[in-house]
Amino acid sequence: MSIAALDNVHKVYHIGKIDFPALRGISFSIEEGEFLSIAGPSGSGKTTVLNLLGCLDKPSRGKIFLEDKDITALPTSKLADVRRKNIGFVFQTFNLIPVLTAMENVEFPLILEGPQDSKERRSLVEELLTEVGLKDFIHRRPNEMSGGQQQRVAVARALVKRPKLVLADEPTANLDSVTGEEILQLMLELNQKTSTTFVFSTHDKMVMDFARRIIRLRDGKIESDQRVNRQ
Amino acid sequence: MKMLFKLAFRNVFRYKRRTVITFSAISYGLGLMALGICLYNGVNTHAMDSIINAETAHIKILAPGYFEDKDEVPLEFTIDEPQRIKSLLKDHKEIQGIESRILFQASIISGMDELPCLGVAIEPHIDPLVFEIKDSIVEGRFLESSEPRIILGSTLARDLGLEVGDDCVLRMFLSTEDFIWNALDLKIVGIAHTENPSVNRQTVLIPLTLAQEALSLENRVTELAIRIKDRNRLQDVRESIQSRLANLNTDFEVVSYKEYASDFVELMKLRSRVQVLIPLMMILIATLGIVNTMLMAVLERTREIGMLAAMGMRKIEVMLVFVFEGAIIGLFGSLAACVIGGLGGWYLEAKGFSLSFLGDKITDMLSFLPMEVYRGNLTAGTLLFTLALGIVVSILASLYPAYKAVKLDPIQALRHVG
Repeated sequence: MSIAALDNVHKVYHIGKIDFPALRGISFSIEEGEFLSIAGPSGSGKTTVLNLLGCLDKPSRGKIFLEDKDITALPTSKLADVRRKNIGFVFQTFNLIPVLTAMENVEFPLILEGPQDSKERRSLVEELLTEVGLKDFIHRRPNEMSGGQQQRVAVARALVKRPKLVLADEPTANLDSVTGEEILQLMLELNQKTSTTFVFSTHDKMVMDFARRIIRLRDGKIESDQRVNRQ
Repeated sequence: MKMLFKLAFRNVFRYKRRTVITFSAISYGLGLMALGICLYNGVNTHAMDSIINAETAHIKILAPGYFEDKDEVPLEFTIDEPQRIKSLLKDHKEIQGIESRILFQASIISGMDELPCLGVAIEPHIDPLVFEIKDSIVEGRFLESSEPRIILGSTLARDLGLEVGDDCVLRMFLSTEDFIWNALDLKIVGIAHTENPSVNRQTVLIPLTLAQEALSLENRVTELAIRIKDRNRLQDVRESIQSRLANLNTDFEVVSYKEYASDFVELMKLRSRVQVLIPLMMILIATLGIVNTMLMAVLERTREIGMLAAMGMRKIEVMLVFVFEGAIIGLFGSLAACVIGGLGGWYLEAKGFSLSFLGDKITDMLSFLPMEVYRGNLTAGTLLFTLALGIVVSILASLYPAYKAVKLDPIQALRHVG
């Protein structure tokens, strides 16, 4: 089943009096359980594609589908509900809430949309933090953890609601290569274990090596869409 | 909701220094406001008490026409048979005392010096039932019936360099227009120092019979001053007195202290309007503090706000986090304000403060207020008002920054470099 699809999507940014076309007619579909990389040089439109898939932005033209449902025309408030229920985000700069512990950061999306019982929530969160290797760090705040550990918390936070789609915008850009690889390995494991669909943007060759499908963008168009078979 | 509150609570302590500054602005501003209200209430209550105790009593019975000219203390509107009225009201259960008095224009002469004053002729044995001047004798003693003695207000005595035991001349004006007067040579038997500076500055007391003789008034008086047992029953007692007096064939004016001291009541009303400005200024300080802190918080947490929006947090929830933050700072700030106001108010109530250290000129300038020591009146209502106001103002002040936060575009916010 198609998790998400873009149909002839254009996006034009108006910067001052100048129109800047970021996407020029992009169409592709993402199947459930994919581990997909959107690759390309900076300015190619990677982040724009992720923002559109994440319901953070609306296309200038074309349509966007989530689970075959057209979400293009939904009002902003409804898009927030869609994000809350269906989408997890991992950011380049981790973006954890500094005043909350690892446990509370991961619990946060569940409080917005999830089980009411706090014990149930906590056990879900603990399980997940153990899974990402942070069993001993659950009561630490972000500033008491390394970048890699913070990004693990962010991955756990993105996954805790069991979303259909996890979007990661250059998730390893702020990490050293060893830690970056560990994070990708973790995401891949979770992808295989839970069949959660992962879409991440990158211009890093090492990151692309992890992907099972690579969509390359150039100047707002798809340059290639390549499936890779890896062991 | 609990989580939003927890988030807000921790955010408050995230920027400690800024929180402390805002907290101080609120507690200082609202604390001063509470003190101001406390002092204002105190001055109001005590001032009225002071006027009643030394000048107006609760109710006065006057001859028709007197009230209109009361500032001139005229002698032509007199009550001819005060004893008849007294016996008519003798068994009135709500009256504590009735005193016959004459007020007259006078001046005190000591050697080459002469100062104008207000002469008050009293019934020395009844006066303590109606007024509290006897309690304010600081030197010498109170008057005894019909003796040729005089009591001077403390400031008047000071200005003329007179002391207990000295002799002075009291010039009593029968008519100021025609400049007809009579003079009495009197020995000073006591000095009165009341809470009311105008009484201290311009009042002299002599026995009633002495004045009646010197002013050729025979048995007549200019007023009957009445103290009632329960001030809250003022209106009812006044009406019952009026209805009893209706049995007599003469007209009288029955006037309460509120009417008699209407100038002062008006002044108080005017002051209460000015007084509104003080809380407003304090609220402004608190509001600016909160708005500034919260706007800084929104700016510094732009990316965090973008992330919260990306996670699907609703606008109202983002707003609530900021409003809670404001409310928490407001709550703690107002609690501290209540402590400041409470302790300061307690001190003002117990000890009061005097402006006498500023010198006689300043105290004379302020003598329109019938008191020398300003005492506070601390009530639970004042503190509750301070607390509620602090919280409400803080919440209202955080609305604008909170609105700024939810107006952020998540994509722009996430890109923000803070």
